[in-house]
Amino acid sequence: MTRISRRRVALLAGGLVVAFGSLSTRAPAALDMNVGAAKVVQSQPVSACNNAAKSALSSVLQNAVELGGDTGEWEAFAAPDSANGSTAAAAIDCYPLAGAYLVTFTCAAQVPPSVDSATALCTKLATAFDAGAR
Amino acid sequence: MNVKRGLSLFAAALVLVSLSHDPASAAVDLSAGIRHVSDTGSLSDCSGKAKAALETYLPGATESSPGSGEWFAMGQNIATGAASSGATVRCYPLAKGYVVTFVCAVQLPANPYGAYALCLDIAHKFYGGPITPLAAMPTATPLPTGCATTNLIGSWVSDNDPKLTFNMQLNGDLTDNQGVSGNWIIDGSTVTLTYYGNHTLKLSPDGKHLSGPGYNLTRRC
Repeated sequence: MTRISRRRVALLAGGLVVAFGSLSTRAPAALDMNVGAAKVVQSQPVSACNNAAKSALSSVLQNAVELGGDTGEWEAFAAPDSANGSTAAAAIDCYPLAGAYLVTFTCAAQVPPSVDSATALCTKLATAFDAGAR
Repeated sequence: MNVKRGLSLFAAALVLVSLSHDPASAAVDLSAGIRHVSDTGSLSDCSGKAKAALETYLPGATESSPGSGEWFAMGQNIATGAASSGATVRCYPLAKGYVVTFVCAVQLPANPYGAYALCLDIAHKFYGGPITPLAAMPTATPLPTGCATTNLIGSWVSDNDPKLTFNMQLNGDLTDNQGVSGNWIIDGSTVTLTYYGNHTLKLSPDGKHLSGPGYNLTRRC
């Protein structure tokens, strides 16, 4: 009886260790980068782009900042986690044209652990931007 | 009593196996904010320079769609085999000349230099300016071979049971012939083997034999 118990426990332990060991093996983290949308919005000042960029970056990521002050170049990072720091970031660039503006989106993510790929992040940002620009 | 002991061993092994697979911490570093306006030149001029500037630092620059003027390239950390740096150079035609923006991202610490350093060099390559050499990308370290006395990497066979074999890996993992995993650590010639509990063994001066209570192993080398 004792021998059977020991064997069962050993088998259970071995099986679970192998199972959990396999599950916890992870692919190496890789940088993912996306050249997001670029578009020209007619009949709008660049300030509208800046407002929408700040709003979109703040809603999808956090702490959107305009680089250098009144440049139209915005960036933000994902909330850092204790193990990795920020694992996603994005930039929105607003450039004034005659009676219009040009806006571009660029995104980067470290996958894993980021749940969003860079493409997904840029799609979210473009959607949030459009909502804010209306 | 036996069941209790077994469960304790299992719990210890589970914790060790989980810990051994924790990934190294890493973070994304992004650099935006470099923009250049040229009063002269066409979109194709900008594209040609964008491709050349990117390929000075990253291999295989591609245009996101032909004629778009949006260029992109990624660099790989050879040691990890994963992408660790990337950059975009985006050109847009103006009534006179063009505007070009530079955005870079790197994964730290896998990449040996930051996103700003990469972007500044790409931008300066594009429109002129001082170039600062970037730190070299680490190269793959060849796996140690033979019966080294500083590690246990390789195949081992039990002296008591030739069917019981172990494969010891570079990262300190070990796996037996039935797929059961554990860990190894070496300090001088003292080896701690975590495999159904912790075992303290001694490595022979020739690096070929491990011996101690419960286990006597010989390395195939």
